[in-house]
Amino acid sequence: MQKTAVAGFGCAGYHAVRSMREHGYQGEIDVYTDTQWAPANPMLTTYYICGKLRREATLPFGAIEELSQKYNFHIITTSVQKVLSEEKAVLLQDGKTQYYDQILISTGARAFVPPIPGHESERVFSMRTIEDADRVRKILEGREIKRAVVAGASMVGIKLVELLHARGIHCTLVDMAPYIFPLAAVPCVAAEIERRLTGMGVELAFSKALKAIEEDGQRVVFADGESISCDMVLMCIGTRANTEIADENIKVNRGIVVDKRMRTNMQDIYCAGDCSEGCNLQTGDNQIIGIWDNAARQGETAGANMAGVVKEYEGNMLHNITHFMGMDFIGFGDVKSEGEEFLYENKEKGEAFVIRVKDNKPVCMNFLDSYGASGVLKAYMINKFGGAGRQMDSVSKVRLLNEGIPEKLINFLESNSQEEDVWEK
Amino acid sequence: MGKVIELNADKCSACGACAVACMDQNDLDVTEGASAFRIVRDLEGADGGYEYYSIACFHCEDAPCISACPCNCLKKDEEIGFTVYDNENCIGCHSCAMACPYGAPCYGKDGKMIKCGGCAVRVKNGLEPACVANCPTGALRCVDRTECEEL
Repeated sequence: MQKTAVAGFGCAGYHAVRSMREHGYQGEIDVYTDTQWAPANPMLTTYYICGKLRREATLPFGAIEELSQKYNFHIITTSVQKVLSEEKAVLLQDGKTQYYDQILISTGARAFVPPIPGHESERVFSMRTIEDADRVRKILEGREIKRAVVAGASMVGIKLVELLHARGIHCTLVDMAPYIFPLAAVPCVAAEIERRLTGMGVELAFSKALKAIEEDGQRVVFADGESISCDMVLMCIGTRANTEIADENIKVNRGIVVDKRMRTNMQDIYCAGDCSEGCNLQTGDNQIIGIWDNAARQGETAGANMAGVVKEYEGNMLHNITHFMGMDFIGFGDVKSEGEEFLYENKEKGEAFVIRVKDNKPVCMNFLDSYGASGVLKAYMINKFGGAGRQMDSVSKVRLLNEGIPEKLINFLESNSQEEDVWEK
Repeated sequence: MGKVIELNADKCSACGACAVACMDQNDLDVTEGASAFRIVRDLEGADGGYEYYSIACFHCEDAPCISACPCNCLKKDEEIGFTVYDNENCIGCHSCAMACPYGAPCYGKDGKMIKCGGCAVRVKNGLEPACVANCPTGALRCVDRTECEEL
């Protein structure tokens, strides 16, 4: 009988197994996981801490035991040390080697905590797993926390600021970048978000490099010599792909490089999810796009191909969405790309919409409090990047008009010819 | 194979009967700021002529909202193929709205996602969806996906 190993069981691993079975794979599946709390969604941890979601709800597809019955796989809790790509085997932590016909690497990513002095204090936290959430929950319930430093003005960072701020904790949001959401927001949108945050009493300290954490997690020291005293520090600098189990034959950049069928460069070794580098449709390069939906699509694609059904996933563009403290931010495309920037505001509805254009093509979009048109425009951008050149259809136009997007902007997107009077700067 | 609600735009006059029926069927309280799941609008063509539309969820076969939801609130109805949901665990993140190429997901007063579920319960019991049943011109039809013509 055919045998498949799945190393790591998050969103991508789950979707791969489900897809294999749905595509008729009859062989045995061994799922290796270092946590029984799987497949969990890391984005739900803060909702669990604040009590908005039950602990079980952070497992959106149910517990692994139920899933193993439903999709017929073995759960193996011994860690995988290495994927031996030529032998198609996994070397386990206990020294044993298991051989397979194909292997999926879906090990995800981990929170990155820079190894600065003092980072190991028990008052320093990161936020990715349910264990991280339990630690934060415990300190919030057990001790009096008055001041917190959140390092990393990221999508995770802002959710922690929201959580702590709601509990009356004074927060300082720190980043090396000069403004909030540096990987997603254009400066004018970032400035508006910062204005609102400051108005709510959140302190911002940008363009600041962390140097050390002192006094057992109660003082954050910056490279410029300044420091802030606090009761806890939350590190949300970013994530790192878990690629260490790939052996030296498997091509790894920041993530494991895959093709449209989620195949690595080594035969019968697949990879999907936050540990993989699929195609960024905007640049055409391989890049980690660490988004839940992307992991699902990649996992599903890997699963189909592992079941012997040819299926391709074209790739994705960078995109982010977060809602926090009464705001709603969405960013599409590469915020570092150059181009001419246009702002449209619907003051009546309190919405802002920014689009950056180069060579008559949108390269980056931001929406503040205006998610309504985001789906249509995301599909539009992806189509453009994919080279489909599809015109905007009537249904899309109806939706955009209904969301208050000005007709002249729609006409531009439709025609792709930039007219002088199309834009309101 | 599933069902879809199909619009024949040539027969639509954007009268809004479908939207009113939708509000009634789904208890959408407009005085509380809710709108119908179905939007009705006219569109001026390049030639100056008008086209009329009534659009809601298209119940895509491979619905992107389903995999985009971080809480797994959305799924395909196994019997009739509509994209249905249970929003108990909805966190109101708007990921489904961002994933939907037609902008179909809406949000209730509590911030949780609500959308056209195709009146799945009605259809399972041999009735038409409310919008279809109330369309005076026969522009909206509930049909099997295979019968569905391109919009």
